Amino acid sequence: MPSDTIRAALIRRLRVSSAITDEDIKEIEALPISVRQYPAEMAVVRDGERATDCCLIVDGFCARSKTIASGKRQILSLHIPGEIPDLMSLFLHVMDHDLSTLTPATLGFISHDNLQKLHRRSPEVAEMFWRDTLTDAAMFREWIVNVGQRPAPARLAHVMIELRERLRLIGRLDGDSFEMPLTQEQIGEALGITAVHANRVIKQVRQDGIVEFNRGRVTVLDERKFQELADFDGRYLHQSPTL
Amino acid sequence: MPRFHFDIHEDSRLIPDEDGQNFANVEVARKEAMLTGASIAREAFLAGSADHVVVDVREDEHTPCLKISITLEVEELADD
Repeated sequence: MPSDTIRAALIRRLRVSSAITDEDIKEIEALPISVRQYPAEMAVVRDGERATDCCLIVDGFCARSKTIASGKRQILSLHIPGEIPDLMSLFLHVMDHDLSTLTPATLGFISHDNLQKLHRRSPEVAEMFWRDTLTDAAMFREWIVNVGQRPAPARLAHVMIELRERLRLIGRLDGDSFEMPLTQEQIGEALGITAVHANRVIKQVRQDGIVEFNRGRVTVLDERKFQELADFDGRYLHQSPTL
Repeated sequence: MPRFHFDIHEDSRLIPDEDGQNFANVEVARKEAMLTGASIAREAFLAGSADHVVVDVREDEHTPCLKISITLEVEELADD
């Protein structure tokens, strides 16, 4: 796979959100990345494992999750191309949750050793990655609010709009529709409800003429109602260097 | 593993579960039905969209083997 394809979504995202310079881009382009293909619903790194590299999503969707003793799983976040969902493993050595694929995925692995060398050589790049992990934490705060306080239809709408705004940044929207390749069970796990309740919520928002979810694709039917239901304020995504 | 379907009634509205889900046994399905019923009832009661939620659990196309029923009762008490 050509080197610029591997890093395209990452650089595109950093250009918009972090005011990356040409010099920083050269540093990232020089970073050795080993690419591997993963099937859908496969663990990339598991809770309790010691990670030796960070994983850049080149293509496909991933999720981070945590499973409790009873076997119930909470999905903590969704991840799209250009993101490095386990960047914190550079400093937090043993994983405290799972990272797994949702769809077949192309993943690029960057060794901790090389990332550390890059950080020492280029404090600007280090700051950019630091900012990335802080934005990650901001998203977790928003998900706690979502699961803890919003009614289920609003939770669903919020997760959908968040995903859309992140896909927009890497140029992956398709008119009024976008990818959200989750099963009803996985949507339930992200919203803290059962699969049957998730199914009921999906039917309700369609009946209300707000949004349609079908085979892993979201189509917005009424943008104003969608925004209103989600109670979405995208500031927490910090998608501009001034935010 | 048997496949269970959870049909939801909110007052007179029926939301059938066409897909169904696999569970190890009826005991695990019962817990899932309770969780589903309680969670849907919480939302419906707060939104005021229904005050009676029923979950009918059936194995495939069989008649229901379990019915979970949750009703909201609010009584305003005179202050005397």
